Amino acid sequence: MKTIVFYMLTVLILLSSKICAQDLSTSVANLKKANTEKEYIAIRNGLERLCMQSPGEWLPNYYIAYADVQLSFRTPSKENKLKYLSDADTYLKKLTDISGTDASEVYTLKGYRLYSLIALDPQTNGPKYFGEVTLNYQTALKFNPDNPRAIMLLAMFNNDMAKFMHRTYDDFEAQISKATELFARANSLPNYPSWGKEWLDSRLSAK
Amino acid sequence: MMKRFLIFASFVFIATLTTFAQQRIIEGRVLDEHSKPMENANIFIKGTTEGTGSAADGSFKLTTARNRDVVICVMMLGYSEYTVTVKDTDKVLLVIKMKPDNVSLDDVVVVAGNFKLKGNSQWGGMSAVDIATTAGSSGDLYRSLQTLPGTQVVGENGRLYVRGGESAESQTYIDEMHVLSPYTTTGNNEPVRGRYSPFMFEGVNFSTGGYSSEYAQGLSSVLPLSTKDVSPISKIGINPSIVGLGGGGTQAFSKGSVSLSLNYEDLKPYESLFPDKMDWIKPYKLFSGGSQIRFNPNDNTVFKTYVGYDRTSFAYHTNPLLENSLRDLGLNEDNLYLNSTFRKDYQSGYKLFAGGAFSFKKQNIDDALVQGDSFDDKEWELHLKSKVTKRNTDFLKMNVGAETLVRHYQMFYDDSLLQKHAINHFISALFAVATLNITPNLNAELSSRAEYTSINNGWSCTPRVALTYNLNGIYFSGIAGRYNQLPENKYLVRNTGLSSQQCTHYITGVYYEKKDRIYRAEAYYKKYDALVLNNADSYTSDGYGYSNGIDLFFNDRSLFKNLEYMLAYSYNLSRRKYLDLNELSTPQFCTKHNATFSLKYTIPSLKTIWGVTDRFASGRPYHDPGKGGLMNAETKPFNSLDLSLTYLASKRVIVYASATNLLGRKNVFNYAYSKYQGEGGDYQSAPVTSSSDHFFYIGVFITLSGKVAYDVSNF
Repeated sequence: MKTIVFYMLTVLILLSSKICAQDLSTSVANLKKANTEKEYIAIRNGLERLCMQSPGEWLPNYYIAYADVQLSFRTPSKENKLKYLSDADTYLKKLTDISGTDASEVYTLKGYRLYSLIALDPQTNGPKYFGEVTLNYQTALKFNPDNPRAIMLLAMFNNDMAKFMHRTYDDFEAQISKATELFARANSLPNYPSWGKEWLDSRLSAK
Repeated sequence: MMKRFLIFASFVFIATLTTFAQQRIIEGRVLDEHSKPMENANIFIKGTTEGTGSAADGSFKLTTARNRDVVICVMMLGYSEYTVTVKDTDKVLLVIKMKPDNVSLDDVVVVAGNFKLKGNSQWGGMSAVDIATTAGSSGDLYRSLQTLPGTQVVGENGRLYVRGGESAESQTYIDEMHVLSPYTTTGNNEPVRGRYSPFMFEGVNFSTGGYSSEYAQGLSSVLPLSTKDVSPISKIGINPSIVGLGGGGTQAFSKGSVSLSLNYEDLKPYESLFPDKMDWIKPYKLFSGGSQIRFNPNDNTVFKTYVGYDRTSFAYHTNPLLENSLRDLGLNEDNLYLNSTFRKDYQSGYKLFAGGAFSFKKQNIDDALVQGDSFDDKEWELHLKSKVTKRNTDFLKMNVGAETLVRHYQMFYDDSLLQKHAINHFISALFAVATLNITPNLNAELSSRAEYTSINNGWSCTPRVALTYNLNGIYFSGIAGRYNQLPENKYLVRNTGLSSQQCTHYITGVYYEKKDRIYRAEAYYKKYDALVLNNADSYTSDGYGYSNGIDLFFNDRSLFKNLEYMLAYSYNLSRRKYLDLNELSTPQFCTKHNATFSLKYTIPSLKTIWGVTDRFASGRPYHDPGKGGLMNAETKPFNSLDLSLTYLASKRVIVYASATNLLGRKNVFNYAYSKYQGEGGDYQSAPVTSSSDHFFYIGVFITLSGKVAYDVSNF
């Protein structure tokens, strides 16, 4: 009888973790397709439920922070933008206490979050966060020099900065080519952060 | 074999049951604190991933196969988590009313009298960067604040004068700790500057009245400044300018940072280029240095220590017109400020703050009043403060604390006779502030301060009540509060029995913000009691007075892209029996009408920010000894058109230039009269004007480290 109970419990645990993994896979897949604020909110809600169930897993926390940053670009309300970015900060801070977290991906997202704050109010936040954006991307690259998201975002940030100063960023094309190449042979672990490729492709094809 | 079969059969049985179980529907509506539908709330069964989102009308429908009691959880950013147990019934219709979370509740600000100038703030419409780019501010925090309504132009000294109050009635705090001497010392009729760079601060909160009882010893206004948090970036930069050279940097560590800044100003080269009206023997020199250590051992704990020192020296020949003899006034001053604070947020919700600050100022003036005399004064203050804050419920947040200010002052005046005075005294206080979220639209703040002043063995209790009502985004505020302040040490040293001066504020205001436009209007009445009165060189507390007026403010960032402009107007009527004014009269520093128009325009293609400020003030009252009555004459109105230009020369080089009073108006602030009657029985007079009609500034901020761009801050 004990053996029966043991098997049944094992099956149930496996089943529930399988359901969680499926939920995360679905959310990650939907995140790649999402475009509107409404879509991102629905995915974020799902991720939040997942996170409540498995608070010690880094990926649900990471993806909520990512969805928050994406929402900050999409929601029209300044108040909501700040709420999302504040929430992203909370989740990014949580990630520092979770083992197995990919530090390179977290620093990349930290930089991306600060970039959103600059976009929100360039005059105030530009001088305030410029250095931190660069520092976070560079720290991400120290942990993983082949992180295509960090390379891409740093290149774009440097390029935007150069444009703002009426200069050119000579290394832009080389860095974007490097990111494209790295995206092509990026980590294929299930649910691992892989965002950015579609965005880069669409920007390159739009040229 | 049998066992395996049983396991398989059980599994199939459970799965089949689950599949064919009767589906259960849990429906309802999610509403916000105003009972309006809330869209996109996250509704789910706790402990599962089964959930849904609310629609635009707040409705939701959650289908589940769970037929036992379930706990429904609702989450929404900015709101407290809501949970409800749903019993095992066929169909449920829930009405869920969400409540703002602690962070949102704490965001409620009593609007009247308060200008929050923190970056992104929606209350003041002005950010810390704006301070430096406001034309006429010349990068000075206090001059920038003087563009806001409620402040008055006192051009010959540059200090803050708020709503008919003396400059000594305005207090500055850094990280909640008092600053005894926030202004630099300058020569006669030369405007002072703040000792601290605006770029040191993350938050600037300027309250022109009705502030919390937590703040001590300020009758008119308080300026709490918050220094920046730990810098994650190491940086170094220099700043050569037309008046001197500055530089410094920050070294970042994993959990902290250390910053250092040094500055040297010598006006001799500037004077040779743009001579002023002063007859300098030794032009103004200032050496200043500051350092800050910031340490965050974890996310909930912050240690900060700031130390700043500056030394000022200058000497000049005084104006011989109104005096019998020529004086060579020479001044040397040393000023030190040390501030150390600790903050910790506990998981239980308690927030603890403790801090200590030491201010020290020593001044020596030769030929201070007559030829050959010498005046020395030394002043220090130790401020110790601790407080605990906790949101007890959604309805109530409490802040209670205690503080002590220990003060020492001594002065020597040596002419023919030696005058020597010294005092030591302390002020101790307990304060409590209760913030009440009465309804989602109505908030109240009740505060009180019990204070003991050792010098006159006086006890006082100063209550304050503030209400804010939100009517569809239009905020109405009303405040009544009482404030106490000991007379300045220079008066206490002559009469230690002087009472604390008192001022009662009554303020009502309205605030509205929409689409990057801010509108605010306030009316106030201030009643002064126990002011210092000079009766034939004998100081008493028999003075009194009042000040009332209206402040209007409009800020617009939406008219054209990259353009921001601001209009501020203040009307003030102030009369007091105070110091040498032995009849109820308008003090010399007060003006009835003050208006400011300030504009900023960014031209990205030229990488420049242009700033234009025009300040107007009606005439200042002054006393003509040749006429009857007190304060019996008025100067001509004041006007100054100022310009500033910020140019991003490259990623690491910023050029900042400013010029004041472009129209070259001869602004007169007062008239000084000779003590002696002339042959015709009249008194010889000289207009009190600024030492120079214009001030020009050109500075270059160069960042030397690799990771930083267009950053003028070394902290």
